[in-house]
Amino acid sequence: MLATLLQALVSGLAIGGVYALLALSFSITFTTTRTLNFAQGEFIGVGAFLGVTLLYLLAPGEGGSFSALAPVAAEGGRYPVAAAAAGAALGALGLLLFLAAIRPFAGKPGMSWVMSTIGFGIILQSLGLAVWGPAPVNMPSPFGDGVIRLGGAGVRPQEVAVLVVAVLLMLALDITLRRTRLGKAMRAVAHDPAVAALMGIPVTAIMLGAFALSSALAGLGGVLVAPIASASLFMGMGIALKAFSGAILGGLDNPRGCIFGGFALGLLESGVALWQAQWREIAVFLIIILVLAIRPNGIFGRRALDKV
Amino acid sequence: MLEVVDASVAYGPIEAVSGLSIRVEPGQVVAIVGANGAGKTTLMKAIAGILPLAAGRILLEGRDITAMPAHRRVAAGLALSPEGRQVFPDQSVRDNLELGAWCRDLRPAALEAAIEEQYALFPRLRERRDQMAVTLSGGEQQMLAIARALMARPRVLLLDEPSLGLAPLVIREIFAIIRGLRARGITVLLVEQMANLALGIADHAYVLETGRVTLSGSGAALLQHPQVRAAYLGAGH
Ligand SMILES: Nc1ncnc2c1ncn2[C@@H]1O[C@H](COP(=O)(O)OP(=O)(O)OP(=O)(O)O)[C@@H](O)[C@H]1O
Ligand SMILES: [Mg+2]
Repeated sequence: MLATLLQALVSGLAIGGVYALLALSFSITFTTTRTLNFAQGEFIGVGAFLGVTLLYLLAPGEGGSFSALAPVAAEGGRYPVAAAAAGAALGALGLLLFLAAIRPFAGKPGMSWVMSTIGFGIILQSLGLAVWGPAPVNMPSPFGDGVIRLGGAGVRPQEVAVLVVAVLLMLALDITLRRTRLGKAMRAVAHDPAVAALMGIPVTAIMLGAFALSSALAGLGGVLVAPIASASLFMGMGIALKAFSGAILGGLDNPRGCIFGGFALGLLESGVALWQAQWREIAVFLIIILVLAIRPNGIFGRRALDKV
Repeated sequence: MLEVVDASVAYGPIEAVSGLSIRVEPGQVVAIVGANGAGKTTLMKAIAGILPLAAGRILLEGRDITAMPAHRRVAAGLALSPEGRQVFPDQSVRDNLELGAWCRDLRPAALEAAIEEQYALFPRLRERRDQMAVTLSGGEQQMLAIARALMARPRVLLLDEPSLGLAPLVIREIFAIIRGLRARGITVLLVEQMANLALGIADHAYVLETGRVTLSGSGAALLQHPQVRAAYLGAGH
């Protein structure tokens, strides 16, 4: 019993870490531009596939076929290289998304940016399907398929790695936002772009940076989760939706609230699954709706979302 | 120093500033007075570059900055302390000041020295350095807004209603600081509803009505002008 509980805790924290990271990615664009990237799910899937492709290319011959890469393909520092490269590539894609789908519509009345980012995602997914096909593929973990025994519970090393990486990244982001010149400027833009411009802050550049960062997190997130599930162009939808729910739950305008919301959702999900797997989604979303009925701006949120 | 030539600014179909021209000479304090809705804030925002001109030009030291984006105007020497203070509420007093110097890209030691300069000018801010700006009193927030603008080392400081919502004693303090700035050679363009105070320190002043300049002259001359006395200083005093 204790072992199962521990196992659920680790799984919940690992997936919660991914939700938290992506919840933060939603918060970053929302606070600085009052818009969201509704293609974030597709970005996750494309990030994962870019990661798999890089592992395949970096380990010619020894890694096996593309759709079933051998564990050796992820070894020798190739996995972190693939993760960083996927993050960078998606970051660059985020710049394109901002210029093509956000910039023309941001700050104007109406919600055209919702449609334009969804459209961007659909185009991206279609391109991905043309290149990689619809079948999910296996992404090996750099730590192998083995299981660590922890007080009777079997824990997958990739889950621990995901949790550690997510926590480190979020700590780095939190410190950046609070302590660095750039972070302070981002928060100034988040408060009021016109007043930020009065400080001499290049507001458009900051917004571009926010989209690059947010998209890079999606790409990285895809490479992090793929070894736990498998890489698929459709894998991101569920993750992005949960991450978004986590952000709403914690408060979209509060980065720390988003981190809390992401972890809460991950733990809730694996906790409910322990009890009744088929009730998982229902219970999770019922709880979210209940919390939002009491605190419409999220647990730690300030601004109402209806301003978008 | 700063020149606005035939400037018009519109919100949609409504023109808030129409064909307006003003001049600010180096080292002067120039005041703009006018009733609510006269277009004073609109003019200041257009000079700072956060509202576009529908027509006309803005020159800073002879250079045309009409098309220059707002953030570059700060580096060019214009800093606005906006109406209603607009300090960053969730950042500390110190960090607000740091943001004011964004365009100077100072090394840590130089930044601390620049912040110290403002603390020397506004000792109250030193006491509150680590407090979030939202927790400051109105007067302290106004001081922070002015200090933050000064952090950019502007050649022309734009002040929009620094007395708004403040107690008389605090207003006197703020005006003493503006006099001090002039003594240090900083050029100031001041928008004020407290016409008597503004005209009292202004080398030159303009009266704005519905987006147009209706009167101009030295501060002392406008203080005596019957039309100004009737409209802005309370007739019969
Ligand atoms: N964002 C806006 N949209 C539409 N009209 C505006 C906007 N801001 C100001 N106006 C209008 O433009 C005119 C000038 O406004 P402005 O704020 O410049 O006046 P002001 O002289 O600064 O007044 P106050 O002394 O009250 O600060 C007013 O008629 C106002 O209603
Ligand atoms: Mg005004």
